Parts: sequence; C-alpha cells; structure tokens
Amino acid sequence: MNLRLFVQTLRWQRIRLLAVGLAAFGWGALIPTIYVGFSDAFREMVDSGFLPEELLSFGSGNFFSVPGALTLGLQHPLAIAFVGIFAIGATVGAVAGERERGRLEVLLARPISRRELYSTLMTAAVLLVGLIVAALLVGQIAGLALQGLIDEVQLGWMPLVFLNGLLLWSAFAAFGMAASVSFDRHQPALGVTMAFVLLNYFLEILGSLWRDVQWSQNYSLFHYFQPGEILAGKADPYDFALLGLAIAIPVIYALAVFPRRDLAAPS
Amino acid sequence: MHAEPMGTQQAVIATRGLTKHYGPVHALVDLTLDVRAGEIFGFLGPNGAGKSTMIRTLLGFLHPTAGSATVLGLDVTTASVEIRARTGYLPGGIALYDELSGADVLSYLNDLQGREAVRRDELCERLQMSPSVLRRKVRDYSRGMRQKIGVIQALQHDPELAILDEPTEGLDPLMQQAFYSLMDDLRAAGRTIFFSSHILSEVERICDQVAIIRAGHLMALQHVDDLLARRKRKVSLRWRGSAPDLSELPGLADVVVKGDRIEATLLGEVAGFVRAIASPSLEDLTIEPARLEEAFLEFYAGDEASEEARG
Repeated sequence: MNLRLFVQTLRWQRIRLLAVGLAAFGWGALIPTIYVGFSDAFREMVDSGFLPEELLSFGSGNFFSVPGALTLGLQHPLAIAFVGIFAIGATVGAVAGERERGRLEVLLARPISRRELYSTLMTAAVLLVGLIVAALLVGQIAGLALQGLIDEVQLGWMPLVFLNGLLLWSAFAAFGMAASVSFDRHQPALGVTMAFVLLNYFLEILGSLWRDVQWSQNYSLFHYFQPGEILAGKADPYDFALLGLAIAIPVIYALAVFPRRDLAAPS
Repeated sequence: MHAEPMGTQQAVIATRGLTKHYGPVHALVDLTLDVRAGEIFGFLGPNGAGKSTMIRTLLGFLHPTAGSATVLGLDVTTASVEIRARTGYLPGGIALYDELSGADVLSYLNDLQGREAVRRDELCERLQMSPSVLRRKVRDYSRGMRQKIGVIQALQHDPELAILDEPTEGLDPLMQQAFYSLMDDLRAAGRTIFFSSHILSEVERICDQVAIIRAGHLMALQHVDDLLARRKRKVSLRWRGSAPDLSELPGLADVVVKGDRIEATLLGEVAGFVRAIASPSLEDLTIEPARLEEAFLEFYAGDEASEEARG
C-alpha cells in the first residue's frame, strides 16, 4: 500500500465522488417518499389483480414494506449505476486504462511493486464504493426520518446492511481490477466486467420476476445482498461469507497474475 | 555479434545472453553487453529493433525469456523495485497527467520516488521551465515542454543511473544543446546514462560507448571513437599541375581523377595516408570527418546483404 498514490487516486476522484455521492444520497432519500406515496396504490393494484405481485418486486425488494422498499432502492438500476461508476468504471481503468494512456510505466518507473500498486488501487476502489453505499444508506435514513418512518426500521442493523453492500460491490470491484490487470486496453476489461455484472443482475431479476426459474438467483451475487432480511434481524452469515469469497478469488488471481505479466510498450 | 564483456564488478548494467521472445517474435536475441559506471552509453537502432524491449526488461516491465541482466548489481527479475529506486527513467513518448500542473507532476512523481528532488531547480532552469510555465496544466503544454518535464522527472532525484528513451524527441535545437550539456555534466559527476536513440548525430556527440541493435541482435558494441576510427572518410586532394596516380595507394578506394583534383574514399588510418601523399605539389587536402551514420548504415547494409544471401 502506497499512501501517496492512494491519496492522489482519491484526489482524482473527488469531484466525481462528490457528484455521485450527492446523487446517491438524493436517491436514497427519495425511496421512503416513493414508498409513502405509492405503496397503498401498488398494493391495491396487486390485490385487484391489475398487476401481478412479481412486477412490483425487484430483486429481493418490493414496495409493500419499508425494508422491502429500502432493498428495492438499493438494487434498483439507478443505485447500481451510482456504485458502478466506482466499482466498475474506476477499477477497469485503474491499470488497463493507465496502461493504454501510457502512464502506467511512468508510475511503475518508481520503486513501487505491482502488488503494491494493485493493493493501493484496490483499497482506494473499496473506499470509494463504501462511500457511495454509505451515501445511499444515509440518504435512506434521512428519507425515513423525513417521512416519519424511522421507527419502522431497526437502525442498529444498518451497519450490517452497509457491510453487506460493501462486500457485494467490492466483489464487483475486485472483478473489475482483475480484468484491468489482465488486459492491455481499457475496452476489453470494461466489456468483461460489464458482462459479469449484467449476467449477475439478469440472473437475480429473472428469478424474481419468473418464479419457475427462481433458482437462477442462487447464481447471482446480487442475491446475497439482503438488506431486507438484515433489517428484519435475519442476517445470514452465509451471504457474507460467499461475498467474501467472491472478493478473495479475483484478488488472489490479480496478485498472482499481475506481477508475472509482461508489460510491453503501449502501442 | 558478442563483444567481450568487461568485469561485471564495475558494470552498472550487465546482460548475458539476454533474450526476449513474444511468441514467434524474437525481440531480443542473446544480448551480451556491459555499461560501465560514469559513461554515457548509446543504444542505437531503428524503430522496432528492440531498444524499448531492452529498456523495459532492465526495469522489470518485461521478463526475460532466457539469459540474465543486472542493473546496479541487482538482478532485474528479482530486484526491480530496488533498481527503480536508484534509477531515473524517461519513457519514449512520455504520457503525463494532463489534469495536473507541471510542478504538481514533478512533485507527485518525486514523492513516489521517495527521494529528495535535489536537482529539480537546476534542471528547470537549464531546460527553461520557469515557475510560471510549471504552474500551467500539462494539458496546455507543447510536445517539447512535455518532453522537458519528462527529462526533469527522470533526473530530479539525481539517480545513479538514468535510462533515457529518445530523450531529445520534440526538443528544439537550443534545448537539445542544453540537454547535451546536461549530459556532459552528469558524466562529469560520475552518473551513468543509458541512452536510446535513433538520432545518430547526438549519439556521436555525447556517447562514450555505443551498441547497435537490429531485429533484436547486437550488431556492434564499441567505443564511439573506435567505431569512427575504422569508418570510411571522403577525401579530396588538389594538386599543382596534373594529379598523380594514387590508385595503388593502400587504404584508398573509389579514386576519381578530375584534372588537378582527386576524390576518393579513405579506408585506413589518416596518419599513414597523409604521410604517403605529402608532396610540395599538394595544394589542398580535405578529409571529411567520419560519421556514425555511415557506420550505422554499414552495419545495416552488411546485415541486409547477409540476409539476402541466406534468403
């Protein structure tokens, strides 16, 4: 871990972090408002048979309870886009992008080992992801307070929700970093990482919309992000362990492969 | 071709049979050379000859397929971090951080280097990078200014060894002269410079020893003076009255007589030739200096001819 590189990496992201963090906070705060405004109407639509319940569920979330709404807000494509800016965008460019721009060799001309470089960039990515997940959750708490729903959620479980979200997005960040150290160019690294995230998302959403293939959710990392369950006091340690494993595998791969790779001159 | 390696104790860079293959491409083949402390070593070759591969292998960016290399006595495969701590490196066509100012780039890279930037002010002054220029964002810099930042970042911490990949690329003639003078001073201070270039005149101007590489093969490894001493020189002589017959003179070739003037190519040593032609009838004598360019082209022509013969 190189402190100077770590600080500079965060500095480069500070404006983006501020903008995305504010947007994530705003989105988080909006979720309780949407719940208060539309929950009853959604329930009526389902009860009247106008809409199947599956269509108002999203991943593990729904609009029929406060924890369900919070979960839906955290698994919504908008939330994924906010966190993905750092978990995917920043990680795939961290090595492959710098290499393509020709700046990686300027960096590696310093006495920094590749493992140190990787560890520093990965740590920065986890911190950035953590800050966005935190912004989403703080926004949700602020929204709950504004709507007078704060008592409907056991806030004591929020740190565990944060940890669960951090692990999920760190797993994707670790995958993005592994792709980044494997390719000489940014685009293939981005393509592989996007495909991985979208496949996971597809398997999760498919299982939630179509009960016959509910098993597909077991193969999605998103399925192990369960804020609703945690807030209901039913956190499953298996979810955390599995996400931890999903982080460890790409990290071990990157630490093994990156130092052994040839870094030819950028073409 | 193999030059006889010198004792490795005094070699700042030493390679032995260094080979690098990228699949079927043989980027470096059995390269053996030494770079002594305190010398400026020119590494010559056209684009794609293997110059950058050599440099990247020395810095640990590439792993040798075979052979070995040490820099500052440290193995390039096991101690590249230590090597880079004591080395300054200017990559060819350096890419910088456009969003930072020149001063911030230098500070950032030096912080990562972890050594005091003892030469920065002097380098900025000599390369005419004033404080006001350094305050500007790198994105506003011309190519020459970027190159100057590249040179400064490589040398600001006063490294024992500087590896410079085409350092004068983009510099105007005045700055090239400033750079040459800087190299002279670094040599005087005992620093070692490994200098890759395809600009023959500058290698001739500043280098002590030169290696010529083609398609990954070392074609020549000699002191510049030795290389030039054996080169062909154009000679032109003017005589009072008709010119004598010099066609039998040893070391002289391509003799063309035009009235009182003789033009020829001198292959041998100059002193013997001057002694042989000394005559009261000799009115004028011009011997063009030997040029590295001719030596370089000769090595390449010879290699191409042998390839054609093999083909």
